[in-house]
Amino acid sequence: MFTELNSILNATPDSFTQGEFILVSDRQSDASFLIHHFLSFYLRARCKVCFLGLVQSFSHYSAISQRLGVSLTQAREKGQLIFLEGLKESLSILIPQETTTGSQAMDFLRDPTVGLQRLYEFVRSSVSSDGGGEEGVEEWGPPVLLVDDISVLLSLGVSAGAALDFSHYCRATVCSQLQGNIVMLVRCHGEEAEDDGSDEGSEWLLKGLTHQCSLTLHVQGLPTGYCRDIHGQVEVCWRRRRGDGQHTQKKLFQYKVHDKGASFFAPGTSSAVL
Amino acid sequence: MLSELLQGTDTGAVLIIQDSCSYSGQHLLKSFISAALNKEEPVHVLGFDVSEEELKDGLTASTQRLHFHSAYTDPLGWTNRSAFTVHQFCVEELTHLLKQTSHPKPVTLVIDSLSWILRHMSPPAVCKTLQQLKKGGAVRAVIGLLHADMHQRGTVGSVCHLATSVITVAPGTKGDEAVAKITKRSKLGKVTQDEEIFSIKGDFSVTVVSKTSHAGRRQTEPEEQQMDPTANLTFNIRLSDTEREAKEKLALPFVFSKEKKTALLQSGPGSGRILYEPDANDDYDQEDPDDDLDV
Repeated sequence: MFTELNSILNATPDSFTQGEFILVSDRQSDASFLIHHFLSFYLRARCKVCFLGLVQSFSHYSAISQRLGVSLTQAREKGQLIFLEGLKESLSILIPQETTTGSQAMDFLRDPTVGLQRLYEFVRSSVSSDGGGEEGVEEWGPPVLLVDDISVLLSLGVSAGAALDFSHYCRATVCSQLQGNIVMLVRCHGEEAEDDGSDEGSEWLLKGLTHQCSLTLHVQGLPTGYCRDIHGQVEVCWRRRRGDGQHTQKKLFQYKVHDKGASFFAPGTSSAVL
Repeated sequence: MLSELLQGTDTGAVLIIQDSCSYSGQHLLKSFISAALNKEEPVHVLGFDVSEEELKDGLTASTQRLHFHSAYTDPLGWTNRSAFTVHQFCVEELTHLLKQTSHPKPVTLVIDSLSWILRHMSPPAVCKTLQQLKKGGAVRAVIGLLHADMHQRGTVGSVCHLATSVITVAPGTKGDEAVAKITKRSKLGKVTQDEEIFSIKGDFSVTVVSKTSHAGRRQTEPEEQQMDPTANLTFNIRLSDTEREAKEKLALPFVFSKEKKTALLQSGPGSGRILYEPDANDDYDQEDPDDDLDV
């Protein structure tokens, strides 16, 4: 977890806004370091985390989380973390064997036109508290859903509309009903295209998710080009604000990713420059 | 014009609020709901984008006459718990829904948002339903929120063509202000367009800050006030009138002015002249070096 990002978002593991839909997006850049931040943040906040890891293996996240001070294997054993390993599960669907019993979550690979209802049901069963009266089961905090990343589903044949329906249902269940949080990563390629309503690609998906979410973090490279000391810029935009302050608020930061974290600073105040 | 629209609409009005990712039209929609509730009119909301709590959050007006039909929890019937699915968006179902709660006053139907419906139903079907709602007597007015950047321009155009008023919202220059472009079609066919800057307060009342023509002027005034760099200096760089005249009279050295041009073209007395007499050696023809070809 990155302490500077916590102060920017005004959140600590002990107190954070509940019912938030956080959208992490990037364009020609890599925002997955933010996913690692949120994973370690919510695990430290003792929340029940459901992680849909569709692009990397469990050991990848485990190795990075170890550097951030959180053990994913322990969390999984204790029941705090439910990890859907998309790559492994998809193999069991594409090469079915008699002994595989896996969940039906990745069923959309058989027929992408069916939609992501099964994946939603997997999420719903993971986040809803089950067996509250069992002995030895620890009480976890509000549920959190992390998706890394949702735009890969577009490459697997799922339509962008189905992905938006899935995120809507997740939001209705996790954010509104259970007062938990969602963090989704969307990756876009290429430049921002105007009037993209006809082409339902990742840009359209990003727009749809932006309308649904309450906080966006958009990661981009520096507009002036590559820099060794500054890896890019993050634009934080607060969309829905309850109570006072109806207007959206935007802030721009530059960041640098280190071995054990990332530092965020106002544009032009990088330690390499000052 | 925004205040007029908030105050009341005639029967058979369809108002569409168009928004985009940069500025959400949710708050303006809530302002319309709040204004209708303040006039003691019943409001039915078809909620797809937001939950009931989120919609009612902040509405100070009495929510007794606000009926929320939740299509948020299960719009596609995945969990079999839905109060209203997206496929129920047709005139028969809507009339049935509205008749369940009877009112002495005509009903205002608010749709949040039309984009959700347009994603799942074909635009012609949605337009047909809106037109039937407009002509039929079930509702007095329909207010819909449309995310204009989520659809093709043709779809947005078709839906807005049905509307009697269209408000397109965009973020303004200052923090909590936004710009609204309003197009209003009267029953006689007259179209009026306007652009206003507004802000929404905490209780969802709308304050129209100014019309854009005034705003442009207001913005240039502070700029002019800043444009006096010769003030507040420890040395004097101002010019007196004689100095200014002399400065303007000065001919710059490398500027090719009219006087210089005429001086060069007409060589004056004493300037060098070039006299040329054609020399046989200058007539060297590459293809005929000995100059003896009869070509």
